[in-house]
Amino acid sequence: MNHFPHGWGRPRDDIYGPYDHTYLSHSQSSGPNQHTQQPAVTGTSVLAAKFKDGVVIAADNLASYGSLARFTDVKRLHKFGEHAILGIGGDVSDMQYISRILNELDIDENYGSTGNTLNAKNLHTYLSKVMYARRTKINPLWNAILVAGLDGVGRPFLSSVDLLGTTFSSPTLATGYGSYLAQPLLRKLAETEDEVANVTREKAEKAVREALKVLFYRDARSLDRFSIAVVTKQGIELMEDEQLEGQSWAFADRIKGYGTQVN
Amino acid sequence: MTSIGTGYDLSNSVFSPDGRNFQVEYATKAVENGGTSIGIRCKDGVVLAVEKLVTSKLLKPGANKRIATVDRNVGIAFSGLIPDGRHFVSRARDEASSWRDTYKQPIPVSSLADRMGSYVQAYTLYNSVRPFGITAIIGGWDSEQDLPVDGQVGSGPKTGTGGKVAGTKSGGPGLYMIEPSGLYWGYYGAATGKGRQAAKAELEKLDLASGSLSLHEGVKEAARIIHVAHDDNKDKEFELEMTWVSSLDGPTKGRHEFVPEKLLVEAERLAKRYMEGDEDEEEDENMES
Amino acid sequence: MAFIHPSSLLPSSNPSYSFREGIKSSAPGIQEHRFSPYADNGGSTLGIAGKDFTIIAGDTRQSSGYSINTRYAPKVFRIGGDDDSGTGAKIILAVTGFAADGNALKERLDSMVKMYKYQHGKDISVKACAQRLATILYSKRFFPYYTQAILGGIDEEGVGALYSYDYVGSYEREQCRAVGAAASLIMPFLDNQVNLKNQYVPGSGVGHDLKAKAAEPLEQSHVEQLVRDAFSGAVERHIEVGDGLQMLIATKDGIREIYTPLKRD
Repeated sequence: MNHFPHGWGRPRDDIYGPYDHTYLSHSQSSGPNQHTQQPAVTGTSVLAAKFKDGVVIAADNLASYGSLARFTDVKRLHKFGEHAILGIGGDVSDMQYISRILNELDIDENYGSTGNTLNAKNLHTYLSKVMYARRTKINPLWNAILVAGLDGVGRPFLSSVDLLGTTFSSPTLATGYGSYLAQPLLRKLAETEDEVANVTREKAEKAVREALKVLFYRDARSLDRFSIAVVTKQGIELMEDEQLEGQSWAFADRIKGYGTQVN
Repeated sequence: MTSIGTGYDLSNSVFSPDGRNFQVEYATKAVENGGTSIGIRCKDGVVLAVEKLVTSKLLKPGANKRIATVDRNVGIAFSGLIPDGRHFVSRARDEASSWRDTYKQPIPVSSLADRMGSYVQAYTLYNSVRPFGITAIIGGWDSEQDLPVDGQVGSGPKTGTGGKVAGTKSGGPGLYMIEPSGLYWGYYGAATGKGRQAAKAELEKLDLASGSLSLHEGVKEAARIIHVAHDDNKDKEFELEMTWVSSLDGPTKGRHEFVPEKLLVEAERLAKRYMEGDEDEEEDENMES
Repeated sequence: MAFIHPSSLLPSSNPSYSFREGIKSSAPGIQEHRFSPYADNGGSTLGIAGKDFTIIAGDTRQSSGYSINTRYAPKVFRIGGDDDSGTGAKIILAVTGFAADGNALKERLDSMVKMYKYQHGKDISVKACAQRLATILYSKRFFPYYTQAILGGIDEEGVGALYSYDYVGSYEREQCRAVGAAASLIMPFLDNQVNLKNQYVPGSGVGHDLKAKAAEPLEQSHVEQLVRDAFSGAVERHIEVGDGLQMLIATKDGIREIYTPLKRD
């Protein structure tokens, strides 16, 4: 009798040898192996920051296929209703699927006599349940999403959800590489929800544009063309095909150790 | 009625010896007792209007709508049994949704009418069901522009194969009427329900086939026709319910919506004045304002 | 299809951070990347039951790996409240581990507690709620919620009640429990300060003759201070704990919340 519970129900080591765990998890041919997947065509970071009257959100126009810059005119910000917008990173076909289910949701909402009254908070709750349900089926939508807009009482709202259904909210947010490179910079705007009251639209928009530039310098799968949107009580102002301005590649001279300057 | 007592009227799926389906004819009777519905296909849009008979003063004004939206660009008005109409609309919405799933585009009005025609006709085939007690008027606008497919995120090639050809136009207004038999036709102007005869007579005067009537004129005509078709002797109270759908550069931007309050009030004011005054004289004045 | 590698839920002989690392494989050659439905979002919670109160607390940091997702993501929830803010709730739930599972578990328990009230016209007892939570966890025995839960409230005798759970619903009522990333740091402190382990009456003897200090009911204010001390200690020694401390205190009058900032480094 094996007295260690983890041994129960398994072939006995003294007869069959130690159990080879790798066999099951690596076999392709034997047994059902549904949905094992990885993203194919992907978008990189999405950035967003709250300010006192609303939210700024931005994402570049690139869809990469591995290291190939596959599509360079991809719009990754999607409007929903009058006061909500989402930015999507990760798999582009899954992004298109999300865009379609939200389109359908918008049509259905408008069948009611009050029109589409879902706010950004409602949209985030809905999306997080979609994402969590799909991960639970081991068939995830391979995305990281930021939802920006206004909540039910007209306050700025910003929250994220990823392929696991994990949700979190913060005065500033960034997905993908942006979470390492941009988020620390954006946090200088507002560390806490209370500090958001001191942030103007101009400050927030400038910080997001600057952070995008840093990402373009350092994230090889990013682009200098992007969409940026500002959501306030007045509605959504979506600017597409924006160009990064004031780039300076002077620092590139001094990068050594690889590329053309090996030593 | 000649059918009574023959037994041929007791079931769908059974013809009478002279080739009639009495269940369908009875369903048509239900429609003929319902409030009038009309649709007008104008050059730059479609107007739908219904005479909503108020059966009780306890009902909330504006509630219990009889014109519904399907997808974003189509409206359905109906006369007859309201629950049947609700089910019809629900099915139309499902059809529009499944079309989008397949083609990533809104359903053309003609295709929606075709699918709904087939659906209604199926209810004349089986003895386990009864036909729809409604006649539905489907009006909508097929986008005249090349819309992006659902989920499209790029703009695609600007020229060459797969590129857009500038200035091409398709789409336009669509108006269809489906009867309990499943029969449907496309119309310039459609009318059903109690006041259909009077309404049809008025619609015929409008020379809709020439395609000259504008949407705004159509709204005023629709309001007037509903008032003309209304029979004060039998029903006292009614509400005018009116929707429209315009071209992409028109007032509704290709969406099916209720006619704005201001315009509705104005159209109804003109309609009432027309009814009070000498009909022939007032008509000219209506057209101008 | 096995979602979790069985060995990954067992203690590993390799040194590691408290957050779970990816499945290690000794297979040579190609390494296949598979989707893992789990993540560890760090953080710590604890609960202490007193004679007429229960305190459940947790830090508000949510992390993934070395990154801080947010400095404010509550892990301690009011269960069965009347509205979004949880007013009217009498039961507290805290969850650490995988945040998405934690939220799903919270929402399920919350709706079940509400359904109980609608159907029976009275609040569920903490005891019944505790059993219900175990059932929910066990219902996903073969695809578990990757969460360690603690549940608390006031029992039918008016005494503070605290229950702690493993991933699949095994549970017991306890006096105190620390759970999550810094459980191994906080629990010994609670053993000593709440259950008075290794505390003796001074001068009561030598060696085995030493008399253990008799346990006395702890004052609520004293317990609040213990919780603050436990967390400020954990913050110093664990990278996944910090930012803010959320304390929910259940008494016969309902649930009160105290928020205190923690170090954000």
